[in-house]
This record gives sequence, structure tokens and C-alpha cells, in this order.
Amino acid sequence: MGLRWYHFALWGAFIVGLALLPELVSKGTLRTIIFANYLAIFAISWDVLSGRTGYISFGHPFLIGIGAYTTAILTKRFDVPVEISIPVAVVVTMIGGLIVLLPALRVRGSYFAMITLAFMELMYQLVQVIRPDLTGGTRGMSGLPTLTRGAVNGFYLSAFLMVSVALSMWLLMRTRLGTALSAIGMNEESVRGSGLSATKLKMVAFLLSAAIAGLGGAFYVHYLGTIAPRALFEINFAFTIIVAALIGGASTIVGPVIGAFFLTLLLEYLRPVLPGAERYLIYGGVALLLYMYQPRGIYEIIQQGLARVRRSS
Amino acid sequence: MTEALTITNLVKRFGGLTATNDLSFTVADGESVGLIGPNGAGKTTVFSQIMGEHRQTSGSIKLYGEEITPLPTARRIRHGVSRTYQVPRPFAELSVAENIRVGLMHDNVWQMVLHGPDPDRELELALSVGFTEDDLKRTPAELSMGDLRKLEMARTMATGPKVMLLDEVFAGLTVGEIAQIGELIQQMRGDGMTFLIVSHDLKALEPLVERAIAINYGELIAEGSFARVIENEAVRASYLGDTV
Repeated sequence: MGLRWYHFALWGAFIVGLALLPELVSKGTLRTIIFANYLAIFAISWDVLSGRTGYISFGHPFLIGIGAYTTAILTKRFDVPVEISIPVAVVVTMIGGLIVLLPALRVRGSYFAMITLAFMELMYQLVQVIRPDLTGGTRGMSGLPTLTRGAVNGFYLSAFLMVSVALSMWLLMRTRLGTALSAIGMNEESVRGSGLSATKLKMVAFLLSAAIAGLGGAFYVHYLGTIAPRALFEINFAFTIIVAALIGGASTIVGPVIGAFFLTLLLEYLRPVLPGAERYLIYGGVALLLYMYQPRGIYEIIQQGLARVRRSS
Repeated sequence: MTEALTITNLVKRFGGLTATNDLSFTVADGESVGLIGPNGAGKTTVFSQIMGEHRQTSGSIKLYGEEITPLPTARRIRHGVSRTYQVPRPFAELSVAENIRVGLMHDNVWQMVLHGPDPDRELELALSVGFTEDDLKRTPAELSMGDLRKLEMARTMATGPKVMLLDEVFAGLTVGEIAQIGELIQQMRGDGMTFLIVSHDLKALEPLVERAIAINYGELIAEGSFARVIENEAVRASYLGDTV
């Protein structure tokens, strides 16, 4: 796996830093960081699938939505406790992941991306039309059970989830499975030509990605206590996930976490200066410039900086 | 002698085009055979059918007596047949060592997760094709065409084949690199590897094969010793574009 002492040191410092955060920042900032944690989980989910295998998902809210709606419906309409509804939501989302896998057996590139976008749109329409008594229709649902009270507890839960997902995926992607999944993104035919079943590997990537999306979606909905289809199945939400992963550094797991924090904090700190939608222009500009400067993202910029320091010392 | 590869009445049609036309031949275990023919003769299509990348329209392909036609590519490779490509297909962002690592993996997700790589075997394969230890960290973008072919050979060898199909293995190589790859093939022949080799470079091919099979328009036009096949009138006509 090639683990070095500084890997442990960096992860340790990151976890300690997160643990101390509620002492250092205001409750308002903490609420922003809770969103960053969930965005990081979604971006990792995207990264495991799209960053690795090159099957670009434009419709990741489809998977997140399955997780979120499953637990919302189970808890709100059937009084199922969250201890059961969340694992069920993860499993149901994994089944959703298999549905997204089907087109990936035939098409890739922009065709696949468009199909995932269609899945998201389809889901948006379906939850409004089919059984609105269950889904809450266009309005969605509110009054869902929440798992924590207050910003501090909400933060700790989201941080714990995010670190667990990030660390486990980071370790997993350092194994030969990570190498094989990356290889799919580079040349699927050569993966087959190396005696490996590309279909099996893709299935693993889709299931992992879906499980993370379902987990994140389910916990997020129990943090918010509400679910609204318009906010969930929105192209801006899908793009925020992709941009977080890309500007952080796709296919690195750590990059999407950095990207999620960078994006969320950037938008938040622009808010007092530009309260309207203009800040999205700045956000888009910053993302574009960063991406043009280093297509491998902030992670690579940090790596190169560290290499320079190492060389000069 | 055991037959390593047995092709019987192989037919492949792409719409109205017959790319392989009732082709039959065998390659014995430990034998090295050249598959020659002009551009478009259907040599690569034969390879693609042996590997299962294209399904034949009809006919049979056996590996050590076992019909491999129903198997997908990955399983054919595990049965012991592997190929290289005319244009090398490396994993662009993986290092030389990681490229070889993919070839060494077993098709089992749990094993991939639970067992680490085998750096000794990776190094051994890299050295066997002529890389140095320093080359292990290089990426394909830093490699010459000759090195890319060597990398492809190493990754193909990593899958543990008994039969290797080499497609235009000398294309784009310098004289020195041709000699190096030729030497490697000779060495592997000495170790008992079975080869089916496609090459336009007949001069480089001649010393590496015991026998040649010539095809044109997907049909077998000559078979026998290399010298006899290239002297064959139909073969010469096919290369020079004459009709026989």
C-alpha cells in the first residue's frame, strides 16, 4: 500500500484539526463546514466512479436522491427507525448504482454523461408524479427526524462520516484495486487484454460510488430534516459536486475533500461582498483559472509545492 | 506433438465483407509461426477472434484442445493466450511497474484488495524485456516506441500466457530495438513459449519462426517453411498486387 509516516501524520493532523474546529470558529461557519463535509462525501463518491474509471456522471444527484428519499419515506411515512432506514437507503442506492451501470456496459464518454443527466431528470419528474403521497410531490417533505441537535453535534457527525468515507476510500484506492480502476479510465480494452473483467471492475466502482452517495444522501437529509426535489435534482448541485472533485484533484480521494472545502468556503466568504448570484460568476472564474493552471487540481499544486520544498532543503 | 492452437473453418463477416474466409491452421506447442499477408489480408482480425474481441461468424478456435469460443477475452487470457497490439496500448498515467502490475493481477477483487503487489516479479518482468530498474517509475509518455513495445510485451508476459500472439511487433522500431525484441523472442522460444507472429518486416521475422502461414482476403494461400511460403507465387502476387 506504500504507507509512509507522513501519511499518518497528515491524516492525524487533519482529524485533530477537525475535532478542534468547533472551538475555533463560529456556529455559522460550522454550519457552512457541515455542508462542506457532505459535499466532500458526494465528491468522493463521484471521484470513485468518474475520477477513477472515466465514466463521467453528470447526474450524481440521482444516486444521492435515491438514498435521501428512501430514508425520508421510510422514516416519515412508515415510522421506520433511522438505524434501519439508513442501511436500507444505502442498499437501495446500490441497486440504483447497478441501474446506472447498465448503460456503462455499452456507452462511454459524453454519451454516458448525458444518460446520467437523463437519470437525474427522470428521477426529478418521477418523485413529483408517482405517489406524491409518499414522496411529498413537488414540495418534498419536512419534519423528518434529525440525528443531532445544534451545529456542533451536526458538525461532529458529518466530520466523522466524511473522514470515515475519505480514509477508507483513500486506503482502498491505494490497493491494486485502485490501480485496476484507474486503468479502466485510461484504457478499458487493455484492462480486458490484461485478463481482467472490465465489467466486474466497473460494477465494483459503481457499487462503491452508489453506497457512498446513498450514505451521504441519507445522513444529509436527516441533518436538514427536509427534502426538496427542486434543490436536490438540480444541475447546479450536480456541477458543484463535479467542480469540487475536479478542482481538488480527481482520482485522488483527498483532492475532492480539499475541493469541497475550498468551494464551500469561497462561496461563503463571497456572500457578504456579493450577496446575489454574481458570486457564482467569481466561483466559476476561480474554478476555470485553477483548472487551466493545473488540470490535476489543488492536490497536484500542493504535491508540486512539497516536492519543491523537499528539493531545496 | 500437442496442438497449442487449432483454428478450424474460421469465418468472419463484417456485413458484406468477408474478413476471414474458411481459415484453418494449427500451431503446435512450443512452435513459433509467422502469419503474413499484405495490408488488409485479415491478420489482425484473426488475432481479434482468437482473443474474443471479435466473435467469429462460424468456425472453431481451440486452445490445447479446449474450445475457447464461448469465453470472454479475460477468461481466454487466463486459459493461456495473450496478445500484443499493432499500436501499443499502455495505461498512460501509470508507471512502467504499475502497467506490469495490471497484467499480474488475478481477476479477483478481494485478492486485489487483500494482497499487495509483487515488486520482485514486476522487476523481473521489466528486466526480462530490457528495462532497467530506473525505468520502473517512468510513465509511457517518457518512453520511445521501442520501450512501449517492450512494456506491452512485459504486460502480456505478466498474464502468464502459454501462447503469445504478437501483432506487428517490429513496427516503428529502430534497427537496435528490432534486434533487442528479436533476442527476447528467441529467448522465450528457448523457454518453450508458443508464438504466432504477424509482421511486415519479413527479414526480422524469418529467424524467429519455424513456419509461416500466408493469408490474403482472409483465405489461406500458402503454408510451410518460411522460405517456401515467401517464394510462393500466390504470396508474391498478393504482396505485389498482381492477380493470380
